[in-house]
Amino acid sequence: MKGKIFRRTLRKALTIVNNLFKAKSIEYIYVELRELENVFTLIVLGSFIGLPSPPTTISLRLLPYMAREIIISTSVSSRLNDMLAEMAGLFEIT
Amino acid sequence: MLSSNFKVVFFMGKGGVGKTTCAAAFALGTSIKKRTLIVSLDPAHNLGDVFGIRLSDEPKRITNNLYAIEVDFERMISKHLKSLTDKVKDIYGYLRVLNLDRYIDVLRHSPGIEEYATLDKIMEILKSNVESRKYDIVVFDTPPTGLTLRIMALPSISAIWVEKLMRLREAILDRRRIIEEVTGEKIKTVIKGKEFEMPSDKEEDPIYRELIHIKREIDFVNSIIRNSNVCMTVLIVNPEVLPIFEAKRALEFLSKLGINVQYVIVNKVFEISETASLPKELVTKLSQEKEALQLINNYFKHQIVIKVPLLYEEPKGLDKLITFSRYLSKLIDNAVV
Repeated sequence: MKGKIFRRTLRKALTIVNNLFKAKSIEYIYVELRELENVFTLIVLGSFIGLPSPPTTISLRLLPYMAREIIISTSVSSRLNDMLAEMAGLFEIT
Repeated sequence: MLSSNFKVVFFMGKGGVGKTTCAAAFALGTSIKKRTLIVSLDPAHNLGDVFGIRLSDEPKRITNNLYAIEVDFERMISKHLKSLTDKVKDIYGYLRVLNLDRYIDVLRHSPGIEEYATLDKIMEILKSNVESRKYDIVVFDTPPTGLTLRIMALPSISAIWVEKLMRLREAILDRRRIIEEVTGEKIKTVIKGKEFEMPSDKEEDPIYRELIHIKREIDFVNSIIRNSNVCMTVLIVNPEVLPIFEAKRALEFLSKLGINVQYVIVNKVFEISETASLPKELVTKLSQEKEALQLINNYFKHQIVIKVPLLYEEPKGLDKLITFSRYLSKLIDNAVV
């Protein structure tokens, strides 16, 4: 009985550790993905904020599919006034 | 698949040099042997005036083998934007609640829309003809040089942007795939309270698919306008120094885009052999013309130069255009081969 509980607890602990490592391993890839999606939005829709951008029709043709990218860009831009905290968070500087 | 006999001919030049007259006479000349469509892309149309027939956005029969269109720019831009704005409104339909959808209509005033809509029209005409093979020759009478060059540059510029965007999109999809492989599930995004799974595969990703679609369209246009066997580009100039300078710059610009200009028509050339009794002003004019013709010989060594004299009567109407087309016989013969 004790052995069973021990094995179950051990399995749970290993799952948590495994998930933790998984999350840790892709943490930077998540950040990279978010930034790439943000850059994609800035490039495609740059003309709306005065940046050089592709011919308007290309932007307009891609616009309908860019809901996620726009949400990410909006969220990134809302944190732009505290870039230092953003960087500190990324590199776990406390 | 393009038919080996199919030809596309662009007539370009500065405003007022006689593009429309040359294009109309050429089209009339080719229509004797080949089914020809002439399309006026100039927002200030006068193709109908040259033929002496009222034209519209639909092909109108001029002779047995010749049809003509004057593109309705307002309708063309509206049509071009309608599909785009409908899609935007469908997906961002919640904007209607906030009464913001009317702002989307402002898109019609975005810079570059007119050029892209014109290119869209050129594509539409060429595509439909590739499918139906209704015409053997399609002639485009273009707007003045500046706008035409921007239209002709669009496929090349768009190709560069699409290529870069595709690479960036591939990098995004790669990261999504890595995350999926590690977590064992797709990345999710909540939009309007609904949870959506984000694609990581090129075929699933609508943005990548749209980019591929745009790339195919660009490749189609480039396969025509850069192919000297299919596309003939004709520059029209008057024997005056300034239009020749502009034509030279246009030639250089087009050659950078991979578009080969094969013909130069020098329109409205004074042909007076006896100058002794001429007034002073006309002698000066003739000497300027001589200088201009010399420039043409220097600048357009690799092009076939066709000289058309200044006619006593304006070449309006079918009969006069047929007479005019005799001056373009070299060009017509090469197109109908």
